[in-house]
Amino acid sequence: MTRDDAERFLIHEARLLDERRFDEWLALFTADCLYWLPIGDSDSELEPSIVYDTRTRLEERVFRLNETRAYAQEPPSRTQHNISNVDVEAPPDDGPVTLRCHLTLFEIRVGDASQAGLGVPQILAGRCEYRCTRGPEWRIARKTVWLLTRDQPLANLSFIV
Amino acid sequence: MQSLADLVVDRPGDFRVHTDAYVSPAIFELEMRRIFERTWVYVAHESQLPAAGDYITTTIGTQPVIVTRDTRGVVHVLLNRCRHRGSIVCRLASGRAAQFMCPYHNWVYATDGALISFAQKEGYPQDLDRADLGLARAAVGTYGGLIFARLDPHGESLDARLAAVRRYIDLWNERSPHRRIRVTQSAHRIAYTGNWKLQMENGVDGYHGNYVHSSFMRIVDRAGERPVAAFTAVRDTGSTRGLAAGDGMIERPGGGMAGQFDYRDPRLASYHAQLAAAHGAERREEILGQRNLLIFPNLFLFESHIRVLQPVSAAQTIVTMYPTILEGVPDEMNVARLRAHERFFGPAGFGTPDDVEMFVNCESGLRAHAVSWVRLDRGLHREQLNDGEPSSHSTDETPQRSAYRRWRELMRTETVV
Repeated sequence: MTRDDAERFLIHEARLLDERRFDEWLALFTADCLYWLPIGDSDSELEPSIVYDTRTRLEERVFRLNETRAYAQEPPSRTQHNISNVDVEAPPDDGPVTLRCHLTLFEIRVGDASQAGLGVPQILAGRCEYRCTRGPEWRIARKTVWLLTRDQPLANLSFIV
Repeated sequence: MQSLADLVVDRPGDFRVHTDAYVSPAIFELEMRRIFERTWVYVAHESQLPAAGDYITTTIGTQPVIVTRDTRGVVHVLLNRCRHRGSIVCRLASGRAAQFMCPYHNWVYATDGALISFAQKEGYPQDLDRADLGLARAAVGTYGGLIFARLDPHGESLDARLAAVRRYIDLWNERSPHRRIRVTQSAHRIAYTGNWKLQMENGVDGYHGNYVHSSFMRIVDRAGERPVAAFTAVRDTGSTRGLAAGDGMIERPGGGMAGQFDYRDPRLASYHAQLAAAHGAERREEILGQRNLLIFPNLFLFESHIRVLQPVSAAQTIVTMYPTILEGVPDEMNVARLRAHERFFGPAGFGTPDDVEMFVNCESGLRAHAVSWVRLDRGLHREQLNDGEPSSHSTDETPQRSAYRRWRELMRTETVV
């Protein structure tokens, strides 16, 4: 598990999101995964998160994007996930691997650019941590993104970070 | 610009609000003076200030304030502005402080706002009266854990202001068998391009759900929890109501509003027993009814959260949703309530972004101001008066009309009657 491997994996994930291949993206996760965007520093279940998706909830998120009329995605977001500062921590045994990276995400919704909410890029920055299981294919057991703006007033986040 | 009295047309069979009320910066400024700076507005929940020295910063309209608990436990709402040259004295969102020091020339204020000291005091006469130089204070009132402030030194008491809505605040608090609700430390915050009143109207709007939340309904249907048809049937139940002083609500006694935790779930039998023991079995049925309650102008009580509107400009608004924890129930129930909240609400929920999209759409559409009027006349022909309170079908615009009647009353008068 070299940094090269980690980078390849993260770039692949970013491509799936940016090309709206959400089913393939979902397949990267384990059956008991958690996709988490915290607000504060607490990991208490009695605190709210921006996103706290178990596998079931994550499938709902993908279903919402693929199958439903979600007005916050009409017109849909165009995204560009840029990955940097990749680091990998692989214990010598067969335990889970931890990947860390920074994310710069550009998002824009394209339509009549004179209307509010369209034609203006949104830029999000975040610090990501992936807990991955080993096997023939790496699987994400937990993806956490600490957005730089996590406790600030946020705009439409109906795409996938 | 339309004259102030004519911005709202309220006649039999006809109710309209002028486009200027949503887009005009001049009207926005007047709203700040005549509504937000003159009436009771919500500023904080008591659970945000559990100990002496605790504070949060917020705004009354657009004016920055600090809500503090002083060393004797008394809550104050202080203008966040040094009495010397006008600098902010507190920059943080919340914390615990022994005092507030202006960073510019080291004027120091106590947590009750009193001026304690200032640097190089020989530059002022020895008999300078410090009593008049504390941080300016707003009037403060508390009811059921909700802290309200009024910048205008004159006006009605909070008790008088909340007379009609108090019973619904009580019912909201009584979801806790201890009658005690606290807010979580973190909150969902949203910024949108659009007027604050677009959120005000939407929070008590029972008309949009079948359309704007079709995505959410399909998600719930897919999960096997409730078919879309059952959802739309719920939207035919319950009622809307307009209360005095601009307040109003949408009420569904049987529950079932989108994104809300199901309090009628038979698996909550021990909670139901707890409520009956604490409040009585009959009262319990009333408590478990679902209500979205607007307390004009800037506060909503929802089942899962307290929602606060902060107007920034005619076209910018910040909304904060503070999820609530019911005291006296098992953690599992509060965890389930929170996860249900996150599923619908917040910037990445499956409901809120679709609502916000409508506010933004209205902001863009209202720029077509060659069309003068926004209609809020739905249900006027079938509205009933009960004890002077209008009520109507749950999809009717009764609570919005109540808010705009109060809005017009405040906007057209220079002094409060």
